[in-house]
Amino acid sequence: MSKLFPKSANKLPLQIIVYLVVLAGIATAGVTYYMTPKYSRVGYAPVQPVPFSHAQHVGEVGLDCRYCHSNVEKSGHSNVPTAQTCMNCHSIIKSTSPLLAPVRESYANGTPVPWVWIHQTPDYAYFNHSIHVNRGISCVECHGKVNEMDTVTHMQPLSMAFCIECHRKPETRLRDPKDVFNLNSKRLSEQGAEGAKKASDFVHDWKVKPPQSCSGCHR
Amino acid sequence: MKRKFDHPAPSEREQLTGPKYWRSLDELTGTPGFKAQLEREFPEGADTLDGVDRRHFMKIMAASFALGGAGLAGCRRPEKFILPYGKSVEGVIPGLPSYYATAMPVRKWAVPLLAETHQGRPTKLEGNPSYLPHGGAASLTAQASILDLYDPDRATAHKQVGATISREQVDQLLATIGQTYGGTQGAGLAFLAEESSSPTRRRLVIALRAKFPRAIWSEYEPVTDTPPVQAAQAAFGAAVRPIYNFKAAKRIVSIDADFLQAEAGSLLYARAFSEGRRVTKKSDPMNRLYVAESGLSLTGSMADHRLRIASSHALAFAVKLASAVYPQSAEALAPYAQGVEIPQAWIDACAADLRANPGSSLVVAGSHLPPEVHALVYGINTAIEAIGSTVNFVADESTAGVSSLGGLATAMKAGSVKTLVVLGGNPAYNAPADLDWAALQKSVGEVVRVGYYADETSAVGATTHIVRAHYLESWGDARTVDGTVVPVQPMILPLFGGLTDIEVLARILGETNPDPYALVATTITALSGAGANTDKVMARFLHDGVLAGSAAKPVSVRFNANGARQTLAAVKPAATFSAKSLEVRFVCDHKMDDGRFANNGWLQECPDPITKISWDNAILVSPKLGKELGIYHANTGIQVARQEEAEFTMGKENARVFELTVGGRTVSGPVHIQPGLSNYTVVVPLGYGRTVTGHVGKGAGFSAYPLRTTEAMHVATGATLTDTKTRVLLANTQEHWSMEGRDIVREANYEPATMPDGKSYQENPGYVNTIGMESHAPSNLGPVGEKMSPPQRATQIPRGNSLYTTPQFGKKEDGYHQWGMSIDLNTCIGCNACVVACQAENNIPIVGKDQVMRGREMHWIRIDRYYSSGDIDGGAFGGEGNTTLPEEPQISLQPMTCVHCELAPCETVCPVNATVHDEEGLNVMAYNRCIGTRYCANNCPYKVRRFNFFNWNERKLDQLYLGPLGDSGMPELVKMGKNPEVTIRMRGVMEKCTYCVQRIQNAKIQHKVKMAQAGQPGEVRVPDGTIKTACQQTCPVDAIVFGDILDEQSDVSVAKKREQDYAVLGYLNVRPRTTYSGKLRNPNPKMPDYNALPMSRVEYDRKNVPQTHGHGAAAGAHGSPGNEKQAEKKGAH
Repeated sequence: MSKLFPKSANKLPLQIIVYLVVLAGIATAGVTYYMTPKYSRVGYAPVQPVPFSHAQHVGEVGLDCRYCHSNVEKSGHSNVPTAQTCMNCHSIIKSTSPLLAPVRESYANGTPVPWVWIHQTPDYAYFNHSIHVNRGISCVECHGKVNEMDTVTHMQPLSMAFCIECHRKPETRLRDPKDVFNLNSKRLSEQGAEGAKKASDFVHDWKVKPPQSCSGCHR
Repeated sequence: MKRKFDHPAPSEREQLTGPKYWRSLDELTGTPGFKAQLEREFPEGADTLDGVDRRHFMKIMAASFALGGAGLAGCRRPEKFILPYGKSVEGVIPGLPSYYATAMPVRKWAVPLLAETHQGRPTKLEGNPSYLPHGGAASLTAQASILDLYDPDRATAHKQVGATISREQVDQLLATIGQTYGGTQGAGLAFLAEESSSPTRRRLVIALRAKFPRAIWSEYEPVTDTPPVQAAQAAFGAAVRPIYNFKAAKRIVSIDADFLQAEAGSLLYARAFSEGRRVTKKSDPMNRLYVAESGLSLTGSMADHRLRIASSHALAFAVKLASAVYPQSAEALAPYAQGVEIPQAWIDACAADLRANPGSSLVVAGSHLPPEVHALVYGINTAIEAIGSTVNFVADESTAGVSSLGGLATAMKAGSVKTLVVLGGNPAYNAPADLDWAALQKSVGEVVRVGYYADETSAVGATTHIVRAHYLESWGDARTVDGTVVPVQPMILPLFGGLTDIEVLARILGETNPDPYALVATTITALSGAGANTDKVMARFLHDGVLAGSAAKPVSVRFNANGARQTLAAVKPAATFSAKSLEVRFVCDHKMDDGRFANNGWLQECPDPITKISWDNAILVSPKLGKELGIYHANTGIQVARQEEAEFTMGKENARVFELTVGGRTVSGPVHIQPGLSNYTVVVPLGYGRTVTGHVGKGAGFSAYPLRTTEAMHVATGATLTDTKTRVLLANTQEHWSMEGRDIVREANYEPATMPDGKSYQENPGYVNTIGMESHAPSNLGPVGEKMSPPQRATQIPRGNSLYTTPQFGKKEDGYHQWGMSIDLNTCIGCNACVVACQAENNIPIVGKDQVMRGREMHWIRIDRYYSSGDIDGGAFGGEGNTTLPEEPQISLQPMTCVHCELAPCETVCPVNATVHDEEGLNVMAYNRCIGTRYCANNCPYKVRRFNFFNWNERKLDQLYLGPLGDSGMPELVKMGKNPEVTIRMRGVMEKCTYCVQRIQNAKIQHKVKMAQAGQPGEVRVPDGTIKTACQQTCPVDAIVFGDILDEQSDVSVAKKREQDYAVLGYLNVRPRTTYSGKLRNPNPKMPDYNALPMSRVEYDRKNVPQTHGHGAAAGAHGSPGNEKQAEKKGAH
């Protein structure tokens, strides 16, 4: 009776296992790399209906973040300005620019300008802007240097790991409260030994204890 | 950053507009097709988020796959849009809710409310705290009424003979009616309206009568409260109605009056009653409640002494009581009590108690009882000096000039009605059967129906159906039961162009300005006195939600015995009842009311507080009658002391269907045996069996209206029950009703027994510690732990033995608060408002009757109802076993929800760490981690975890088992009502009470923000009272207290420090954060049915303290004040 399998087949189980392990490893690595927010979100810079340039409005004109995002200190949701806010200036400046047509139309009809949502957190994560900006966390920590962006680009992964990293070590990210809306300012921890002392005092005096358990963000 | 993102060189289009593009769309955006899509898609789809979102995304995805090589784009999240307002809206901050004062009108009164709106969408209702008598509480139906606003089955278009008509045509139609009948002075025109307390409607009706003097204005409600006014007319010579002051009443007798639930003003009365009931320290007085009733109402469940009498015998009871209270009247009254057996000893002791407390006693009669009973009660109240102290009278003109339904029917029969305008109501469903309303209505030429639903009345010959606005879409006004004027303010424009009653009337009247706001403003300005500025008055009125000083002023009345006696003239001798000749008591249903909430899923699924049946009504019969009808239990097979009378199969009550016949009219429905009923009274809840209704109400229960006649609206006699030999399954959420002698609800009498045994509250305020496993065992906390205060225990006693790292409280990682709750069982009346408030706040889905029968209801908080009769004797305890239901049980109610154990058994068994503790002592659920093993629910000793067996939110309840083949998706209208602060849970995850974590987190954030802006950033602890859980906020009797137990002064800490505070199942050492305050009963030792111990305690002693047991005979030995602390504060904080 001839052998059904050649001798080399003895190695087959091992080969299969090795193969599967390698494949699983590649798959894991691939998923980790390509499907996490670090890959899939960072760099996202969609076309907006109106080519609004933060660099121009903040960097050159010098508008404060809160001129447009006026409720960021009060509400969990940082509002995108209404067309009326735009029209405060643009009824005088560039009042006929074709690029601003959607804004004028929105102001006239009340139909919203469909700004593409860039910094999305999942529906089950309840991020609150007001608590962060009122207690020493600057816009720049999550949004990057928007004041230098022509097109708003997703700069940080905004994944849970990203949030938790800061919640574990808040002293590394805190800013002087008056620097929160100054996106060119430095974190306290980056201001030498004196800054580091200020940061630890901040944590102590303000009783900064960011939640690290589920209920902090998930409801 | 692991990667530098190199975008390709900008395309021609990018050069033009400047921006860079997301990679997968790079090529696509340059294609002509995409440009066209952009141009075409935005303008038409931009107004709805969904339209833009989904369709646009699908197109882009399809295109990007087609272009090839960009498959990974599928992993990316869909493109979503931020859609800001065109013009800023004053006062609206996206992300923060706004609150507006409004009110829910119900018949002749209203519940003042505060509506929470999220950018124009009302999502939650609370009681308006500005209306002090309610103290911020809202009723069960008020809590649920918001769901009706988002009911996909509501009428959505004005219809005329089947065809949709526009709003302009409706206005035109109404104006035409006014013009047509202007010439005839209204002859041929008739109105049938719901009762209303609205001053504006009243004003318009007066104007209507002036303009159309020959028109008929009639009002009809299936449940009325006119007899008290009729009796007052006779006894006092004035049209007045009583308003009770339960707070001042130490002794209360209720004659078939369910003033805690069914009577008008129940919210007000429940709150005042609880204030006289609450005992927090030994010196606090406690009221005593005597109830004589036929059914078993919530009021009856609170009774200290309860007498089961037929409703028809209420007169005899009142006569006997009057004779005992005021012996001079005995002779004259004697004939009216003949032939009825009322235990004289009961009456005498009760009357003596009333007489002993002149000025602080009160007798209340149910408003369904005939005027002669009320007249007698007025006499009794006069004799015990109640009038002016515990009961006041205010003028009642609500019935002046209003025709009855019978009067209207006569005119319709005579053919003198050409046009009938039906404002609300549902007469085709709930009018007395002898009128044959459906046929009558068909005989009228033109019927204009103004209705919220296209219901039975719209279906029978209504030529026009006009959509009625929900009260949350309406401008209006109303009066609370004490006469205070409150606004009805719209939260949203009418979703389907509905009209309000006052608008309809104003248009028929041809008012120059029929705008409802203007109509209300005119009324309110006039009510505020001469020279009032409309804008100022309205601003104040709408802000406060009450019109200051508008409560009705009490009028002084003088009892006229001769007048009262006249009401007795027409009294017929009382009937006697047997199994062959039954009394039928029609009651307004606890949840459906008179049927108006039939399509409200929250209410349908909410179990009745006494029968625990959801989605159905039943013919309730007493155990004695059940036996005579041949209904015997089948053995349950469970080794318990009790055997059920009803038959159960896996949570499904297998009820026999009987035919109930009264005066030749028959309905059939399932029979449910209900302990505590008068022997030969069957109780039939109204409001079910709707034939023309939405998806929810269809098929729920049977209608009892076909049995009601004009003569017997609330009580019918001479009924019979016959077995149809068929069966129907009922969704009963509590199969087992006995505590089996356990210590779940711990009770004591308020006063010592005649033979003091050390078991009463006055003798031992820490009586809860003498009951239960803990009283027999060394403390879980050890001698040191026992001496600690709740906050010390919460933070200092190590919680260990767990593989998981649980927070080591008291250390650095701790939160600044530790949350806890205390529930006072002594004041809880079981009204279910908390159940639905929780459902509204936490986006809890309904599951439908079929799933409730499988025990899958999702309520995070439930109210357990236990019966005890003191004669527990089961095979398990060496006895023969009880085979009958108790006729006269005592009832114990207990709200039960997640108790947030510090050593939570659910946490240790979760394989994926989905349920864990947070820094502040909350036992939290991370839905995204949950894989649905249900181990946690299995390991929960309190059975408070709820599992999403299906995707309740996305699937239709009648298609659950079709899986992916069934329809999916939530209607837009339903989505609007969800609370945006709480996640909508998916299939396959566990959920449970979170202590309203969204409210906690938002309050903490808002407090920190406020303090940071005020320059005190270190003040991070939220002041006590800021956070109220949804159940706590709506509780009419303030039974629930929630707060920070680290704060020694907080209400919850104070409550937990009280001696009667205990933990349910405390011996398990799970250290629940929710503890309970023991229940007290206040029986009168002189009464013949006096019990020296509460029945549950008797059962407990029978089971646990056999007479041979060493220390058992004197169980009180546990309870000496010296060692009660040691006994069992068992880790309960």
